[in-house]
Amino acid sequence: MSLEPQELAELKLNIGRDPTSTELQIVAAEWSEHCSYKSSKKHLKMLPMKGPLVIHEKGYDSGVLDVGNGYVVTAHIESHNHPSAVEPYGGAATGVGGVIRDILSAGTRPIAILNGLRFGNIETDKHARWLFKNAVTGIADYGNCLGVPTIGGEVEFDDCYHNYALVDVAAVGFGKKKNLIKNHATNGDLVVLLGGSTGRDGMGGSQFASDSLESEDRSAVQIPDPFIEKLIIEAILEARKQKLINAMKDLGGGGLSCAVSEIANTLEVGIEMDVDMVHTRESNMHPDEIMISESQERMLIITSKTKLKELQKICKKFRISCSVIGHVKSDNQMHVKKGKKTFANLPTDVIVNATLLDLPSKKPVYLKTIEKEKKLRPIFDYSKIMMNFLAAPNIASKIWVYGQYDHEVGIRTVIKPGHDASVLRLDNGKFLSVKIDGNPKQCYINPREGAIGCFEEACRNVVCTGAKPIGMLDHLQFGNPKDPEIFWTFLESLKGLTDFANHFKIPCIGGKVSLYNETPAGPIKPTPLIGVLGLIDKKPLIPQRISDGDCLVIVGDTKDEMGGSEYFEYIHKFIGGKCPSVNFVESKKNMKVVLKVIQSQLLKSVHDCSKGGLAVAISELCMTNQIGCRILLENVPGEKLDVDRILFSESHSRYLLTLDKKNLKKLETMLKKSKVSFKLIGKFRGKKIQFTKGTKSIIDLRVDIAQKTWLNSLKDLVLHG
Amino acid sequence: MATFNVHVTIENKPGISDPEGDTILNDLVLKGAHKTVSKIKTAKMLKFTIKEKDKKAARSKIQKICDELRIYNPMVSTVTIDVFNA
Repeated sequence: MSLEPQELAELKLNIGRDPTSTELQIVAAEWSEHCSYKSSKKHLKMLPMKGPLVIHEKGYDSGVLDVGNGYVVTAHIESHNHPSAVEPYGGAATGVGGVIRDILSAGTRPIAILNGLRFGNIETDKHARWLFKNAVTGIADYGNCLGVPTIGGEVEFDDCYHNYALVDVAAVGFGKKKNLIKNHATNGDLVVLLGGSTGRDGMGGSQFASDSLESEDRSAVQIPDPFIEKLIIEAILEARKQKLINAMKDLGGGGLSCAVSEIANTLEVGIEMDVDMVHTRESNMHPDEIMISESQERMLIITSKTKLKELQKICKKFRISCSVIGHVKSDNQMHVKKGKKTFANLPTDVIVNATLLDLPSKKPVYLKTIEKEKKLRPIFDYSKIMMNFLAAPNIASKIWVYGQYDHEVGIRTVIKPGHDASVLRLDNGKFLSVKIDGNPKQCYINPREGAIGCFEEACRNVVCTGAKPIGMLDHLQFGNPKDPEIFWTFLESLKGLTDFANHFKIPCIGGKVSLYNETPAGPIKPTPLIGVLGLIDKKPLIPQRISDGDCLVIVGDTKDEMGGSEYFEYIHKFIGGKCPSVNFVESKKNMKVVLKVIQSQLLKSVHDCSKGGLAVAISELCMTNQIGCRILLENVPGEKLDVDRILFSESHSRYLLTLDKKNLKKLETMLKKSKVSFKLIGKFRGKKIQFTKGTKSIIDLRVDIAQKTWLNSLKDLVLHG
Repeated sequence: MATFNVHVTIENKPGISDPEGDTILNDLVLKGAHKTVSKIKTAKMLKFTIKEKDKKAARSKIQKICDELRIYNPMVSTVTIDVFNA
């Protein structure tokens, strides 16, 4: 929880004296991996950040996209892994709070939350169940109290998260372009701290997040208070409307230390502040404690002297505390005082600019042999396997999770969770489609192809709603970067994402890096999480009910790519094989043509084919529509493969199109013209899910029984063990 | 063996905020004529009835149950155990 010896030496050299204890605390917080990105920053620059719709302003905590007609969408992603691993309820809830304030700090109203949750094996591990249950409740309680809908996300379980939790939260904001905060400050402006009081909770959280969890030092828990957050949202938006905010920053990791130094450095000013002016929850707090406390629900605002009265009036109206803690100076120093006594006085550029590291990387040894498949035990009864599979925690419906979230409040949610991507109605007549995806099982086997796969899957999901991808958020979660093998996986994933983003011209509008995700059993699998935002100009494809006689057409090839598949890992307990890879040309072609046929209104729905493969994707269609199907596996396009591979391969770039028989001819003509690989593989009818190959029946299940298992197994597991 | 009633009080550790208690204080109690109240803390209480040989055994058994079954999260909360003769 302090600086490393060479960092201390560097600090001394920079300021020409010994730092005070407060200065040490401030610098230690800001130079932690969590705040400084010292291991990753050099490399993150490779991601394309610019695009025709991207709006850049200094000091934004979230990405901003112009969606036309004078409106903007903002988006950000964060994680709260370390806090959630020790206190899942509060950790997950405050994670939501933090990312909401990042959206707010650009001057936009938060309109949606998504979350990606990952835990250990909940089938065997009671502690993992406890973490999962409480994290979900934490998110639900916080989001529901705020009146911001939680519109989607994903949940995954893997042994590598034993005794640990990955809680990622993404948020989306919306507002008028002219109302964006243009961060600026001039000499004499006032620095105001607004919101919750500062206490001893969450002390040193950012450094905590940059250490491995092995140690027993677990003091950094924070208590959520969604009602204060809601008041902050309303107060800030009102102050924004009255143009009372010159600049604004959320207090997150590193507390006041980071917020004050970063805002001063970005705006190229100095700030002098007095810790006695900070409203605290407890008496006798030491200046060091006040500076690094990570108490929740606080915002830092810079306003002019003449506007203070109005700002105070708004705070009074919403009954939230605000205190003037300092003022802006022109000397580029961060000056912390208690009354008259100085506790810290440092140049902001010294605080903010930790020395960036150029860590060594080395291809992990395990990758040499990972693609080799072991001999699998033969499967005789695929129907039985399929029933087990539908009950598997990673495959089973997540309705127990999203059913606890209010996903409709705000009445924007046009496509609700439980489908591929969720869709929000915007005020300019357009629609926004959002999805986050991760796949640590594939990323472990091939960090590059796995990361690209997550990106493509998220794109595929928004394409299924008729949206064109316009921006991407990345959240890169890895183990200890000082291990060259782990750092190699980080770089490979990043390079993959960069290549895909460049090829598809999808700019990265924001992201986060979370390192040192280690459990007592070792590092987590590489877990990049990708969020994609898509824009629909006219009308989203809202899935229509499939009825008797409707056709099922698949676009895209099924390949022998079983590595990291749910089938290998859950049914055969085997980690290895060839990871699915994305063919950029094919991917683009498929995406384009699917968007085109959606626009020509030939389809009832489009479903993405991913986790669990074709068998699961088609069963999902049957179960959600309560209708049977007859699928001819010999018609599935791609290489000639064994039955289990056709059923369960998780090859990318595949879409399942459902449509009325009368539109089939037209669809086939369009698909043929664009030269994509496609085929009619079956029809919907009756009450049974049936897969056949030639004359042989492969899977034969009753839809109602399958549906019951699929819908209830996760809930039963969590509630009854 | 005797029967004891054991009260387990679970509350946030000192210094950790208590939004519920604060709300009851500020938005209910202090809104009335009860200006002498200065703090309210919320807590959860579990009442156990247990057969053990003495008070000490009852207390340590209950403490063990609370710790092992994660009846409370020691990261955030403390427990106070009071034992009474049934």
